[in-house]
Parts: sequence; C-alpha cells; structure tokens
Amino acid sequence: MKKKLIIPIILGTSFLFACNKLTEVPKGSLTTDNFYQTQADAIAAVTAVYSTMSTDINNDFPIYGRNLNLIVDNPSDNQVYSPSNTNPDVRALGTATYVSTNDRVHKIYAQLYWGINKANIAIDKIPLIPAAQFIDVTHSAANLVREARFIRALYYFDLVRLFGAVPLVLHDPATLSNANVLVGRTSVDSVYQQIITDLDSAVSLPASYTGTNIGRVTGGAAHALLAKVYVTRRDWGSAVTELRKTITAGTANLTDATTGNYGYDLFPKFSDAFQAATKNGKEHIFSAQFNGTAGGFTSTNTLSSFTWSNSAYTADIPADSTIVVNLFDVADQRRGATFYDSLFNQTTQQWVKWPFFNFLKFVDQSTGFTTALAGNQGANSKINFPVIRYAEVLLLYAEALNELNGGPTPDAYAAINIVRGRAYGSYISNGNYGNNTYNVSAGLNQSDFRDSVFNERRREFIQESQRWFDLVRRGDKGPGQYYLNAVHSMYKNPKVAASLKDTLFPIPQTEIDLYGGRNPNFQQNPGW
Amino acid sequence: MNLFQRYKKYTSIRLCAIFLLGSSPFFATAQNNNVSLFGRVIDEKTKDPLAGAVIHIKGTTHEVIADQNGEFKFITGQHVPVVYIVSFVGYKTREIPISSYGHAEIDLQGGNAVLNEVVVVGYGTQRKSDITGSVGTVSKNLLSRPAASFDNLLQGAVAGVTVTQSSGQPGATSNIRIRGGNSLSFGNDPLYVIDGFIYYNDNSLTNLAPAAGTAVTGVSTNALASINPADIETIDVLKDASATAIYGSRGANGVVIITTKKGTRSSNNISYSPSYSVQQPGKKLSVLNGPQWARLFDDLYAATPGIQAGLASNKKIIDSLGAAGVSGDWPGAAIRTGHIQNHQLSIYGGDEKSRYSISGNYFKQDGLLRATDYNRFSARLNYERNFSSRLKIATSIFGSSSTEDKLTGAAYNGINFSNAFSSLYIANPLQTVRNADGTYNTKLQAAVNPTINTISGQQFSDNPLQDIVTTTNQAKLTRILGNFSAEYKLLDQLTLKTTFGTDLLNTKLNYYAPSYTAAGNNSGSITGSGSIGTIAYTGWLNENTLTYDQAFHNAHFLNILAGYTTQYQKSENTFLAGQSFPSDALSYNNLYLATVNKVAGSGEARQTWNSWLGRVSYSYEHKYNITLTGRADGASPTGANKKWGFFPSVGVSWNVSEEGFFSKYDKVVNSLKLRLTAGRVGNANFPAYSSVATINSNGYYFGNPLAGVNGLSPSQLSNPDLTWETTTQYNAGVDAGLLKKRINLTVDVYYKKTTNLYITGGGLIPLSTGYSTAAENIGSLENKGIEFSLNTENIVSKDFIWKTTIIYAANANKVLSLGPSQSFQPVAPTGQVSPVIVKVGLPVGTFWGYRTDGLLTTSDVYGAKSAALLSGVSQVTGDRKYLHAPGNTGAAITTNDKQNLGNAQPKFTLSISNTFTYKDFDLSVFLQGSFGNKIFNLLQQQLEKTTTTTNVSSVLLDRWDSVANPRGKFPKVVNAPVVQVQDTYIEDGSYLRLKNITLGYNVPVAIASKLRAKQIRVYFSAQNLFTITHYKGLDPEVNFYDQNNLQPGIDYGVYPNNKTFQTGLNITF
Repeated sequence: MKKKLIIPIILGTSFLFACNKLTEVPKGSLTTDNFYQTQADAIAAVTAVYSTMSTDINNDFPIYGRNLNLIVDNPSDNQVYSPSNTNPDVRALGTATYVSTNDRVHKIYAQLYWGINKANIAIDKIPLIPAAQFIDVTHSAANLVREARFIRALYYFDLVRLFGAVPLVLHDPATLSNANVLVGRTSVDSVYQQIITDLDSAVSLPASYTGTNIGRVTGGAAHALLAKVYVTRRDWGSAVTELRKTITAGTANLTDATTGNYGYDLFPKFSDAFQAATKNGKEHIFSAQFNGTAGGFTSTNTLSSFTWSNSAYTADIPADSTIVVNLFDVADQRRGATFYDSLFNQTTQQWVKWPFFNFLKFVDQSTGFTTALAGNQGANSKINFPVIRYAEVLLLYAEALNELNGGPTPDAYAAINIVRGRAYGSYISNGNYGNNTYNVSAGLNQSDFRDSVFNERRREFIQESQRWFDLVRRGDKGPGQYYLNAVHSMYKNPKVAASLKDTLFPIPQTEIDLYGGRNPNFQQNPGW
Repeated sequence: MNLFQRYKKYTSIRLCAIFLLGSSPFFATAQNNNVSLFGRVIDEKTKDPLAGAVIHIKGTTHEVIADQNGEFKFITGQHVPVVYIVSFVGYKTREIPISSYGHAEIDLQGGNAVLNEVVVVGYGTQRKSDITGSVGTVSKNLLSRPAASFDNLLQGAVAGVTVTQSSGQPGATSNIRIRGGNSLSFGNDPLYVIDGFIYYNDNSLTNLAPAAGTAVTGVSTNALASINPADIETIDVLKDASATAIYGSRGANGVVIITTKKGTRSSNNISYSPSYSVQQPGKKLSVLNGPQWARLFDDLYAATPGIQAGLASNKKIIDSLGAAGVSGDWPGAAIRTGHIQNHQLSIYGGDEKSRYSISGNYFKQDGLLRATDYNRFSARLNYERNFSSRLKIATSIFGSSSTEDKLTGAAYNGINFSNAFSSLYIANPLQTVRNADGTYNTKLQAAVNPTINTISGQQFSDNPLQDIVTTTNQAKLTRILGNFSAEYKLLDQLTLKTTFGTDLLNTKLNYYAPSYTAAGNNSGSITGSGSIGTIAYTGWLNENTLTYDQAFHNAHFLNILAGYTTQYQKSENTFLAGQSFPSDALSYNNLYLATVNKVAGSGEARQTWNSWLGRVSYSYEHKYNITLTGRADGASPTGANKKWGFFPSVGVSWNVSEEGFFSKYDKVVNSLKLRLTAGRVGNANFPAYSSVATINSNGYYFGNPLAGVNGLSPSQLSNPDLTWETTTQYNAGVDAGLLKKRINLTVDVYYKKTTNLYITGGGLIPLSTGYSTAAENIGSLENKGIEFSLNTENIVSKDFIWKTTIIYAANANKVLSLGPSQSFQPVAPTGQVSPVIVKVGLPVGTFWGYRTDGLLTTSDVYGAKSAALLSGVSQVTGDRKYLHAPGNTGAAITTNDKQNLGNAQPKFTLSISNTFTYKDFDLSVFLQGSFGNKIFNLLQQQLEKTTTTTNVSSVLLDRWDSVANPRGKFPKVVNAPVVQVQDTYIEDGSYLRLKNITLGYNVPVAIASKLRAKQIRVYFSAQNLFTITHYKGLDPEVNFYDQNNLQPGIDYGVYPNNKTFQTGLNITF
C-alpha cells in the first residue's frame, strides 16, 4: 500500500519540476526584442541620443559637461590644468605629452561613438515602426530621424576633426560578432560626405519649438552646423550659402540679402549667453541642455567645478592668467564675463581676491555665486553648453566672405563688427549697435582680416571647445604651423613638446591593440 | 530474555509483512517456513555502519551484502544455530556463532582504517580507497576554531584553498579561491553544497549598488555569515575535475560540501558551548601630529606661491596652534576594545530508526571600531528517520537573523575614501576630536580648513569620528534554508532519492547620515541623507537521483548514479533614497519626508538551471578504481544558442599497497595510492540577462523650464552565443601512508586551462561599435600548481600525543589570451588610475605602474646627464625620479613607461598546525602564511599626498628639503601632487601569522559525572597573536575590492584586523 503510494509521489515530484524553462525574459528591463514599436518608443530612442551630450555611461564628465573642453581647450593656448588638478592624463594634455593610452582621449572617442550608436539605432529602428503609430504630429517619424541624424553628424564632425579618418559606423551591430564590429577607418572625405548628407536631411526640421520641445534640433541649427562644416572643408561658397539661410533676414549693416527666418539674434549682454535664466534664448542655435541634479536625471556641467575645501584652484584655469586675460581690453564685456579673480565673502563682508584668474562662463551665478560661496557650487551647474550660437554664425560669415572674395567684403566687416559691437556693450538688436569705436580697422588685406577673425573667435569662444579646432584647421601658414606657432609662443613654453603629429589626436591604443594584425589597414595616426 | 527476543522477532516479521504486502513473491516465500536472520555490521570503534560488508552463512551458499546502513537480512531455510562469516575489505574477517533469531549487531575491527574512511562526494559518499579525484577535508581541530563565518574556517585548512578576508569588520566577506581563479569576470567562488543543497554565494544578493548621490557603501555584507559555523559537522572540498564534474557547469571553481550535525543514534545529549572573546587592535599607522602637520603646512605654503595670498591669514593661526601643541588623535579615538560572545545550545541524539539535532545559536560582536557590530540568532533542526528498511526521510531546517552595523563609505574632504576609517587618518590633527566637555568637536577650527573659513561664507560642522558613530549603515539578513529528502530502495541495490529544498534570503539595508555629518550635509546643500534597500531572494532546488550499488563476489564494486536536477533562483530588489529631512529624529524610517533628490528603484533577476547527471564508479578489489562522470547543464544566463553544455570527466586510481608484491615494503610504506584524472567543467555564474540586449534609461531635459524626459536605449549588445567558460583540468596525485601510518602524505599536481573566458572589460570590442563593453567568450588563462599535505603523528604514547599537519600549495596563474586584445585595465574610481592590468602572459592581478629610483638631484634635472622627467608635471630637484620601461628612451617618462611591478598572487601558501595532547590537556597551534604576493598600498599612496587640509603619513617627516633635509628619502612637498602608481607603493605582502593557539582541558569523566555531565571542556584561545611580515600597511591579509577578480591585493585602508583572546566552555549532558 505504502509502496504503491511512495513511488508515484517521488516520481511525481521529480517530474513536477522538469519543465523549468531556460529562456530568459527580463521583467525589470525592456529588451530590443520588445521595444521600438510605438511613437513613444521612437521619442524615447531619440531622447537617448540627446542624452549623450550631457551624461556619461560611467558618470564621468559628459561630452559637453567638460570632456570635449579638456580635449579641445587644454592642448590649445587658452587653457591649462590648474595646480590642484592631479589627474596625470589631464595634465599631459596641457603639456602636449599625452600618449595614445591617454584616458581622456580614449573617453572622448568612446563617448562620441556611444552617441553615434544611439543615433544609428534611432535612425534604423524608427522607420520600421508602423506609420499609424505616429499620432502626435509634432514628432513625426521623419523628424525624429532627422534629429538623430543631426546629432550623428555633429559627433562625426568632432571625430573627423580630432582623429582624421575614423570608422564610419552607420548601423547598430546589435549582436556581437566580429564580422560587423571590426570596421576599418573611412577616409576623411567619406566621413564628411556622410556628415553633409545627414545635415542636409536635418535642414527640413522645424524652425523653432515651443513648450516642452524647446531644446530640440531645428532646421536653423542644421544650416548653421552645415556652414561650419563647409568652412572647415574650405568650401567657402557652400558655407556662404548656408550662412545666408541662417542669418536673420534684414539684419542691419549687411548689404547682401540674408534669408534666415529663425529669429536668431545676439543677446545685448554677452554674459546672458551663459546664464541659467536666459538658456535657449535667441542667440542659442543649438545647446546641450544641463539641469544639474534636479528633476531626476544627473546632467551636470562640471566645466567650472571647484571644491573650495581642498585648494583655492578650480580644475582648469586660463593658460597664463595675465596673457590670456589681457587679450581683452578693459572695455570688453567679455573679459568680466569670462574670468574672475575675486569673490565676496558673506561672513566677513569682504571681497577675497585670488592671485590668479578662474573661468567664469560656466559658473552658475543664479545660485548667488558672487555673494555667498558654499563648498562646491560649480559642481551643480545648470548652465547649458552652447554647441553653436549666433555669434559664431556671424564670425563664420566674416571668415567665409573674406576667403571667398580674396579679401574682406563690407558684409565681412559688418558681421565681425556686430559681434564686437555686442562685446563692447553697444548692441541693440538685429545687427544694430551704437558704438563704432571698436570696429575692426578698415582696409585690411585678406590675411590680416583672417587674423582678426581668428583672434575674435579666440576671445569670443574661450572654454567653448573651439580653440584647438581653430588652430589646426587654419592652413595658410603651412599645415599645422598656425597651431605650432601659437602653442610654442606661450609664456614659459609649457607645450615645448608639441609637434606636427599633435594636429591629430592618436586613435586610442585599445583600438589599435584590438585590431592587432587582423586588419592591417587600421593604422595609428602619423607620428603616434 | 527469551520473551524479549520473541517479541522482537514478532515485531520485525510484522513490520516486514506490512511492508511487503502486495509484493506477493516475497510474501509467499515468507510463508514457506522460512525464517529471517538479520542484523547490522558496524565499525568497532566509530560504530559507523559498514555498507558493503559481506555476510556469509558458513557451510552454505547463502551470502548477502550489508546495505548503506550496514543492515542485512537473510530469508532462509537455515535455522539457528548458524555461523556467520563476516568480511569486509580492510577489516579482519570474523566468524560469529548465532544461536538465536533476532537482530545481531556485528562489529568488525578495522585493519585498515584509511581504506574505509568515507569521503563525501557529490550526491553521495565514496570509500576513500576508491576515490579517484582530489578531495580535501577540513580537520576537526581546525573546524573547532572560533569564527563568525565558516569561510574563515577554510583558511589554511585544505591544500589549494586560499581565503582572503576583505576586511576585519564583523560580518565582512572573504575571497575564496580553490586552485586559483579560473575566471576574470564572474564566479570564481566555489560552489557550496550545504546538506545537499546547492548554493552559489553571490554577495550581490545582500548588497545593492548605490544610487547616485545617496550611496550606501562600505564593505559588502557576507551572505555566508548567515550560516552558523557551530552547526557544521564536516567540510569537504572537491578540487579536481573527477570530483567536481558531477556539479558540471557549477563546479569549475571547486565545490565545498558542508554537512551539518545530524545527531548520533546511540544516545540523547544536551550540549551548551558559550564563549567570550576580547579583541585588541593589531597595528596602527603613524600619521603626523598637530605640530608636525603645522610644519608641513609651512613647507607647502612656501613651495606653492599660488596659494599664499589665499592662506596668509590662516598660516598665522596654524602656526600658533602648532606651537601650542594642539593635536587630535583621530584613528586612536575610533578604536575600542572589541567583544564577542557566542552561545551554542545543541540537543542531539537518536535511536535505531532516527537521528535528530536541534540547535540554537546567538553570536554577538562589538567590533574593534566604534559603531561596527554584528549579531546573529540562528536555529537549526535536522531530523532523519528510517520509516522502514526501504524508506528514509530526512529534513533539515535552518533559520537565522543577523544585523550588521557597518562603517560608512563617506567621502571626506573631497577624497573618495570608501572606508570611513581611512578618513580618520587624513583628518586634520590640528582639530581635536572632542571638546573639553567630552562632546564631539564639530566646530571647524579656524585653521583646520583654511580655505573654507576665509573664502566661503559658510561653516558646516565636520567631525569624521562623529560621522562614523552617528551614521547608520546597517544590513539585516533573514535566511531560511529548508531541505527535505526521501530515499527509497526500489531494490536492495537501487535507491531512488528525491530532494527538495528552498533558500529564502531577505536583506534590508538601512542608511542614514544625519544633517550634521559630512555626507548628510554635503557642503551645506542638504540636511540629512537617507536610503533603504531590500532584496528578497528565493531559490528552490529539486534533485532526483537513482543509485545502483552492487558488489560482486567481494571483488567488483560498482556504483552507478543517474539523476535530474532543476533549480530556480529569483531576486527582487527595491531602493528608496532621499535627502534633506525636517528632522534627524526619524532617521531612515520616513523617507517620504525628504525634500530633494528622491530616488526610487526596483529590479529583478531570475535564473534557471536544469541538469542531467551520471556517474559510474567501479573498483576491482579496491585496487583498481575508475570513475566516469558526466553532467549536462542547461543554464538560463547563457545565450539563446548555447543553453546546454556537457561536462565529462574520467579518473583512475590504483591502490599499489593492496598488491601482493607490496608486502615487502610494508614496514616503511603502509599504503600507497596513485590517482590520475582529467575532465572538463564549466562556469556560467554570470548575472542574469547577460546575453540579452536590455534597454536602459538615458534621460535628457527639454522645454522651458527644463523638464526631465526619459530616453531609452540598449545598454549592451546581445550575444546569443554567450556560453560557459570551460575549464579543462588534469590532476595527478599520490596518497601515501608511511611508518605504520604515522606519516600520511598527499601530493597533487594539476594543470587547469580555462577557455571561453567571459569578459566584459574594456578594450575588447571596438569603441566604434558604441559599446564600451560586451559580454563575450574570449580569451583563456591557465592555473598550474602543486599541493602537499602532510599529517604526522610525531609522538603517540599513553599520556602524550603530538600530531602535526603541514599544508603547502603553490599555484601559478597566467593569462594566455584575451581574444583580439593584448591587455586591459579595470575601471578605477574617478580621479584614480587603475593600478592593475590584465595582460597576456602575466598573472591576473598584476600591478602596472612606474619604477622609481629615489629622488631627482640637481644634476638629474639641470645637469649634463639629465634624467628623463615625468610628463604632465613640472619636475624639479627633490621630486621622485621615474625610470623608463626597459627599451624606452627619451626625455619624457610617459604612460608607455608603465611596467610590471609584481602581482598579488602568492607564490605559495603554507599552514602548519600542531596539536599536543597530554592527559586531559590539549594544545593546538596553527600557523598560516602567504608568500611571494605583492600588495598595492593605496592607502599609503593617499597618505603621501600632501594638501593644505589633510593629514599625511609620518614617513613624510623625512621629506627632502634643499636646506633642512638634503638627504631626505621622500619627495619635496607640493600642494596636491599627482599621485602615481609606482613601485614604492607595491610592497611584499608575504606573511606568516599565528592564526590560532588554543589550550583546552577536558575535565576527567569522574569529576564531570558528578556534575551529571558526559563531557566538560574548557579552553582558552588566541587568534592573530603575532604576524611576521615586511608589509608596512595595517594588515597583509587585505583585499579591498572583495570578490572582484581583477583587483586583488589592493589595500585601500580596510577595517583593521585584530588580536582576539577567547575563553570558552563545552559541556555535554
């Protein structure tokens, strides 16, 4: 009796559990198998593309939160690590002694491709979502793809300028197999071709947004970036064409017709281009959005972070405080908006003055910076990073016209003088400024005017990840010579080690190692 | 007497009849005037049943074999009196006249005890003589050491098992490796089998990753510590493939089989064992006192013109405080005398049919550092009963509840120290710990943090000791392990066994930093920071095995095992955090009141494992033995295309000493056995969903005002081919008994090669894919080594016994390939450079940095034979002199000059234990050591970093100064220098430590019996009494990164180890 019962019981329990399934279906996270099916999925996929500008996968400095600045400004003649900065890789960038294993170089390469991959996914997956899903007309499938293509172009533009020929990856590898991940380097021309194609598609994006969509890519941003690409390519005619579509129609002082209908204009006050209260204003063509740690996500602009308790330095400082600061004359509003050397101590009711200058542009002054300093105010900065702002469009216009016509045209003068007029505090609006005292001298030849434009760009865009690009792209003194002259003439010659090889960054050593002998065409940049 | 026997006979026949009802052939025979002769064969000394003993009725052909419980039965026409001839290999054959019916207890005298020792193997036991694999057992002596967690008991106990405590903190985890690490990424820990229940220790089940800004950090909580070590009867360690292959894909890293106390058949006992321990700090690090630091500040001030204007007024105050001799001893103030109390009450016993054991335990430890405590309540019930000669039911239920108060991981002064104790070393000595009235000195002295006081308008209080004491960082674990098994004999030789077990583990993590602490204040931006986390883990396991065990003619011994097992594990977690509370009074108990940075999260992970297993063991006369094992495993965390794997092994052994020709050597060598095994095992202990392209959140802000919008994108590439790491192992061993078995020696050599390494490290897929890591099976590594264990009975006399055990193990590890890459460096904490590298041709855990050669002289820097200078910093006379890597030249030392600085893996480990017994006294002395391993002294690196606010190591008293100390050995000070990974911080981590010394006294039975006790033992023991080491840090047994395989041997300032003095009592009634 018992025996009869026991065996079925034992065998029964044995087989009860025999159907335990091995397939994995995560319940706590979505997977690529069940995602990309609705309009909301498409919007979220594109939001992830944007997020790569202001976040890092390992909570390191995001691209526009400091990392691009470290790569583009520290090796230039503008900026250097401060004595309190103890990261050897950051310091090496400031002394032109970085090597291919430099952590920051590795990081920017990884971050840009991280963003490109997210764009590739959005560009590939959104068209597969049934059209009927797209109910909300403000986010059509076509426009979402265009936004992603703009950011992909933006990142490839950085990559190709920093590293030269780079792998042109346009699709998510999705699964891991060596066949689709060991992509070789694609020629610089082909990369630019793709950048232009992507940006051409993005120009049909809306001219502006309202409400909760402010901050997205506009058609004007595509034109402006396209113009910058053409300038870098020295395709002056195409650059001028794009710039005229960007510059607001009827801008005062310009004689040739401009057709921009995006409403771009300069803030009369230079410092408003960098304040939390004026973010996404008329001067901001495209910005990386930062909101500190408020609101659920961490997007911190750490460009001017400092911790007073450890030492009196911020992480990065002007390359040489007197020389860089003295690029500006005292009447130039940009001087006070870019640097500070004293702060007010609320407790002692006294101003404390440092023996050196710090950068001010990305310090969040809305938190009462000048009147009360707490421990590490800069770390929670909510200042947007202006990827491209209207002042640059005007300066690019001046540059392109000068190059296209063999010398400065009246419009070239007008464009640079509008920027200077604003710098010296006499700007009203729509190209009108009151004080002509600070205009660029008339009658300059092409070369002298070019110098004026590049000097103006240097003053205008300190800390905005422009200077190294400007130094290496200028070719009129021979390839790389403008860069070498600039960094070799720095006070105390801190970048004595700089050489022509430094006009391109080394491909991260891990990539070279990885390809090993398997792809002999994947070579390091010359000299590295 | 007669009546009694008759009664017994009647009972047994009746029982038999009931059980055989419906089994008509047997029943029919029973009716046929046949009688039943039955009994049990046991070992004379141990009273253990002798399964397989042959019982022959003299003068007949009747012969039966004793079953697993030693029981036998004849149903025969023979009537008493008869004579049994009872034989069993290794025992003296006995002839026993039987004159009555009924149960006969037959004891055999052991001729060859070793041969008959039974060793626990997977899914059963095996006679030691027949074993082919490499199996180690923790000796009783070492098991009786006092320990908070049983993993501590493995240290030095079995050759080839290395145990490194991550911290001396109560309840801290250990890093356990059997024959070196096979894997780079996951699952180097052995598999634990507790009373048949498979259990892979995953500390992620008791620890949550910290959420941004609200970290619950500190050393992780040890899930193994929830098991009460006093319940453990035996620990066996399976090391080679022949032994572990039965656990297939879970056995690659060795298997630790734990059997808990089951009670004895003979009697009922009550045992009470209290103990009490006192702990003292082992070693202290020396840092500057107040006046010394004031002088250091002056040097920094002079050396760094840039800071002079900002700090001028503070210099005066600092100098005056220094002159006044103000000095705070921060580390000293945090240390107290530790106390441990442990109470174990056990009731155990049994009768013919059942065995039971009930125990309760209370363990409480007040740690050596203030505010670190550990306590555990646990209870266990083990019960087994033979319902019939065919059916055995057993159950085992264990429950425990433990609370661990841990150190917090607060950052202090911007330096991210993950251990708050380390922050006490850098606390400024010009701030006193307490005010004159004994309260904490929370007010920053003007000079202590000068920049804050002059520049900032705000003064937030800061006292790192108060932070440690007032911050709650607690892990509460509740665990219930339940196990049920039924064993049924389908035939005499064929047993069906079914086990069902569950493991329920609930973890609650509580954290609260009050508003007046550094973490709860965050530079004045918040008022209090709290978080809680829960992890609910459920695991169940069902195993079904069929065992066929047959002996033919007492010469052929065959054991066949086949089975099917299935296991399911699920863990669910939640996390809540917030900052800025209206009051500190509610601590972490009402996070709803938080006003900023509210964070909530939840997650889940599930794993399923299905397996088919089989083993055939055959032995001819216990001379020639062969074991074939195979297991097919299906595991859910592997990729969709690679769910199943097969893991076979073969082992042979030859008991040379059983051969006839061997008898001439018998005077010297009493037993000799040669073993040879080969096999393949697997490891798939990687996290759930490793192969799936999961979508993660990447938020961004749009709009005016900006509002967060969730973005979603894949965080990893899918890898449907993700599969097992496979370790192929070869093992050769010798077991020898010499000089009348007074010397027993076991030697094993092995080679292991792991292929298909699961790697997620950077540098393994091109960054251009957009993914920095991917879970991939690439690369391979090898471990090879040799192990000795030597047991000697040096003196055995009537009153005095001296025994020695020496265990030696050497393992060499090497990375053979990393797929496409040559090397990668694990991610380092932000702002730090990774000190380790994983590189082809080098062992895992290789330190990678610069070699140095003293300090730069003036001629080095400015002279003709100028030395190469480190790039990125402006080096001057008196700075550290760095050297090129061999083969490199040039004026600049760059990161290309980093080189191999040694590695964290010991060349060999050694332990020596001696036990002395004199009459009723016993003394055991246990020495344990590790030799040839290097430690990266990260704490020292941080303590040589001079800033205007933090304290530094006393070695900087010998800092170079062109005038005051031109022969100084340490570099000239500068403010916040760039610290490098360099050879001066790589130290020899070799040590030899007196782990334990115990003196015990067994009260003579005569006296004990007057107290109505069966046994009374008192003992005194001391742990870590001395350590011989060159290591300059706190403790050479250090492993800051815990279970991380890639970063062993890093000392980032862990909880100090200690000397423990214990007194205890065992009393059995």
